[in-house]
Amino acid sequence: MVELLARAWDLGWPIMVMLVGLLVYFQATIKDPERKKRATFQTLIGILCMFLVLIAVSNYTHNFENDPGKLPISLVMITSMAFIMGLYFVNISALMKIGGFMFFVAAALSGYGNWLPQVEGGFPPPVVKLDFQSMSPQQLGDEGEKIIFGGIGQSKTQGAIGKGQCPLCHGFQKGFLSERAPNLFNIPARASEQLKAPTYHMNDAAARNTEQKESFEGSGTATNAQEYIAESHACPSCFVVPGFGVKGSNDTVSPMPRIHKPPISLQLGELAAVDTWMYTREGVESPGYDAIVASYEKFIPEADRPVATEGDEEGKGGNMLVDGSESHDDLFMGAGCPACHTIPGIEGATGKVGPELWEGTNAPKRMKDAGYAGKAKTTKEYITESILDPSAYVVTDFPDNQMPKDFGLKLTGGALSKIVDYLAALEEGKPLPAKE
Amino acid sequence: MGRLFTPMTRGKKRFSAVTALIVAGVFLTLPIILSVTAMAGGGGGGSAGGPPPEVLEQRKAAAAAAAEAGESVEGEAVKIETGRDVYYKTEGPAIGMPAPITADNETFYPRYNFESRVLLWVANQQHLYYGSFVLAVPIFCMCIEFAGMISKDKAMAKKYDQLAYDFIRISLTAYSLTAILGGILIFTFLTLYPAFFGYLSGIFRPVMHIYALTFVAESGVLYIYYYGWDKMREGVLKWVHLSMCVILNVIGTVLMFLANSWIAFMMSPAGVDEQGRYLGNIWHVLHTALWNPLNVHRILGNMAFGGGVVAAYAAYRFLSSNTDEERAHYDWMGYIAMSLGVAFLIPLPFAGYWLMREVYAYRQQMGITLMGGLLAWLFIIQATMIGILFLTTNYYLWQALGRMTGGERFQKYIKYLVFILVVGLLVFITPHTIVMSPAELKAMGGQQHPVLGNYGVMSAKNGGINAIIMTTILSFIWYQRGNKVPTVSWSKFGNIFMGCFFVVAQINNIALAVYGYFIPANVRIGLSVPQVAGTLSCLLLMTPLNLAMLKGGRQLGPIRWGQIPPRSQYAIIMLATAFTWMMGLMGYIRSSVRLFWHVNEVMRDNSPWAYTHTIGFAANVISFNVLFFWISIMFVFWLGTLGAKKVVIKGPVSEPIPAGASPQPATSH
Repeated sequence: MVELLARAWDLGWPIMVMLVGLLVYFQATIKDPERKKRATFQTLIGILCMFLVLIAVSNYTHNFENDPGKLPISLVMITSMAFIMGLYFVNISALMKIGGFMFFVAAALSGYGNWLPQVEGGFPPPVVKLDFQSMSPQQLGDEGEKIIFGGIGQSKTQGAIGKGQCPLCHGFQKGFLSERAPNLFNIPARASEQLKAPTYHMNDAAARNTEQKESFEGSGTATNAQEYIAESHACPSCFVVPGFGVKGSNDTVSPMPRIHKPPISLQLGELAAVDTWMYTREGVESPGYDAIVASYEKFIPEADRPVATEGDEEGKGGNMLVDGSESHDDLFMGAGCPACHTIPGIEGATGKVGPELWEGTNAPKRMKDAGYAGKAKTTKEYITESILDPSAYVVTDFPDNQMPKDFGLKLTGGALSKIVDYLAALEEGKPLPAKE
Repeated sequence: MGRLFTPMTRGKKRFSAVTALIVAGVFLTLPIILSVTAMAGGGGGGSAGGPPPEVLEQRKAAAAAAAEAGESVEGEAVKIETGRDVYYKTEGPAIGMPAPITADNETFYPRYNFESRVLLWVANQQHLYYGSFVLAVPIFCMCIEFAGMISKDKAMAKKYDQLAYDFIRISLTAYSLTAILGGILIFTFLTLYPAFFGYLSGIFRPVMHIYALTFVAESGVLYIYYYGWDKMREGVLKWVHLSMCVILNVIGTVLMFLANSWIAFMMSPAGVDEQGRYLGNIWHVLHTALWNPLNVHRILGNMAFGGGVVAAYAAYRFLSSNTDEERAHYDWMGYIAMSLGVAFLIPLPFAGYWLMREVYAYRQQMGITLMGGLLAWLFIIQATMIGILFLTTNYYLWQALGRMTGGERFQKYIKYLVFILVVGLLVFITPHTIVMSPAELKAMGGQQHPVLGNYGVMSAKNGGINAIIMTTILSFIWYQRGNKVPTVSWSKFGNIFMGCFFVVAQINNIALAVYGYFIPANVRIGLSVPQVAGTLSCLLLMTPLNLAMLKGGRQLGPIRWGQIPPRSQYAIIMLATAFTWMMGLMGYIRSSVRLFWHVNEVMRDNSPWAYTHTIGFAANVISFNVLFFWISIMFVFWLGTLGAKKVVIKGPVSEPIPAGASPQPATSH
């Protein structure tokens, strides 16, 4: 509170001084006691109101990034100011009362928004290269569970969701109500049954009543359970389970996106992992990586198969930026730190977006800061925390959310350790640490 | 002025004025006609929306080189690649450039030491607020001026005319501010999101030019309409004047539809292939899956918003009035504006349902993200806001009953309406399935709350909002009856019939709400149809029936315009503020449903801000936008009062004002 008042004073002390000067001027120039009394009173009210505005502005600028939950305080301050002005300045009374009321409504709605549970949508999932082909069925199944539910063991957590986004519509547990799309419990066994459905038209795609008869010209229909699963993923509208079509389409079009296309864009290896999980969780032996991939190749033309290219990685989160084997200059440059930070001793590291990284000096001070809410106890822990969770503590005068939050996915353990060691050794007034 | 001229001179002047208007109209619409022709012909030298001619030439040269090198070249087919439309699934020549693959750097996302997305958000929202206002007001003017023209009561006719003039005068100052904000918005796009804006303007190149020219036409017609008010106040010229307003609204609507096509394209792209290459069909690019529902939703939203802003202006003038005449005038103005706003607010949820249905049809995931996923909590706020809007409307109507002799008959029943409204609101805002973290799920023991989870299903929520709307309709019917008693021979039957109709509609609504708990969810969704049908029947059958019963009815006394408690004006302010806030909220929801895509599934957002903010952060920015808008529009209002100093509002001071007829307006501008 004291800090808030001090910041408000720093922000607008010249205005306050001017108002006080005005007060003195009135005392000296107004002779009529009644008028002088009124002018004095109104100026004092004006000073109070101006200070409330300064508190509001100071709170807003300080907490906009750091603690948005406190922003309604500004609105309450301005509301109070408006009502006080409305009471004592008759000529602008209506305007101030209306303004105060509007600020009150806005403050209430902002407060309501901040009171509700805060959910933040994360960054898009990074593209990570994994060698699915060399994995065991168990490992492959685990990766599949991650893709579907976001983590190993998450399949039993209601609401858990991964890159594949499948649980948005599909149910996976026995008896679970699945209204938007078929429940996929026991799908490996049931897939064979679906092939025999009269509307499926195995080996006769042209006879289908769906808008899209086959995945691409000449791809044909599935002939076994695995191919049925692959076709359902690659071409959901080729066969629509009765009752699950787009409303009004009479089950001729599926609402499901093609899984190898945006927004999901699973690669063949990832699809193999997903399918493997659906087998292994039933205790059924999967057909194996190659057979699953072959089933998808039947329905996804080569040109349409998503691959993790170098460009993707750069633009979408990608693989490791650096692995720690680089020289210090290359290490920092590769990780991208110099774009925003000035790092003493690192060539070209003169960025001004973030703070200068004298971390050997800065870290101990910041950990003692009243506003520090992180968990670090040592300088190195603080630096590690700042890299992996930049919002844990945001240096004063620098905005939050500027620094990417996914360095944990982009730096190897060795690279992180090397960066932390170097930064921890940077102390103002002392020689720079040795570089490789 | 007219009296200075002989009839002959007057006739000549009229002829000259009409001729001048026709010439002006042709001049103003000429650029648009020429642009449309150019667009239909492929946008001149290059294809519409495609790359510049030199790029096409380069491609042709490359294809020719490939042909010379002996590659398999067969005529024209290889010169321009074909692509498949991501929405229409049609094949077309891929003549546009692919959507750029951006990266988080200064080239693609130049930035200040602040979040670019928030800067753009503020610029966009301010432009939208002003744009909505200046597009809505001429529609009101058209309706009110027409009402004045067909009115047989000369006093009323003048009063309506003055009101329409007051409306357009307010919007005129706002109009230039809209243009300035539009410029700021474009500069913000160009400087902070150059790659994205470059791509979008590449696709919409001809549309953007037409948009700019339409804006010129809109300005021209608006100025003629406003400055020609006094010159064209009698006879045929008055009809010409009204026609100008019709043209103004047609142009304004086209303007809005064109701007809507850009955001619709960003949400549900069409006319491009998977790489984002334009395929030569500009209609496909415009006519995307969500364009039409967005258009309808925005027209209604603009009208409700515009009504709210004008009503707030009237409330401000009412509260700062020094005379009874002024208070009477602005009380009446506020009532008309608020009534128009609420009239468009009532169908707005239905337009919203249509939009959501189309969203689900386009991408089910998008619908789930909105209604049951990441953004679901924002819809809880929206439900609360809708409840607030209806509660406030009812409160205003109950206050307004107080200025009617005979209105006190209904006061004793208001507490029952309050009860229904509050219960309806509580049911309406109770969530059923909510987004939670695994820890919260564990703490709660499941996705549904142990107590509240038993409630809040869709049919019950529909029951809640329908009960609220029905109660509002009843309040309005009581208001209509405030100072009147029906005298038609069948009035007793009519009253019983109306009473039974409301009771049966409410029982039907509540019974279906409860029945929804006993049937599966996919069947339950269907219950909304009979529930809404009951509410619409009350609106569309009972309101006209009430008017028919009141025709020639006995008047218990006058409407004492201006004699309404000041708190009623705060209800109007509340309504206007809440609507502005809700507009900001829904705009944020619509925009953020794209998640990490600039153009859904075509151009990915790789900026540092490709994540969705928390609800609290969004609420704070929305509040900032709302207050910024209201502070600036207050300034506009103040400018409006500077121009209005000359206007003398005349009206009876001490005598009661006859019902529905006074106060007397100003007679010149």
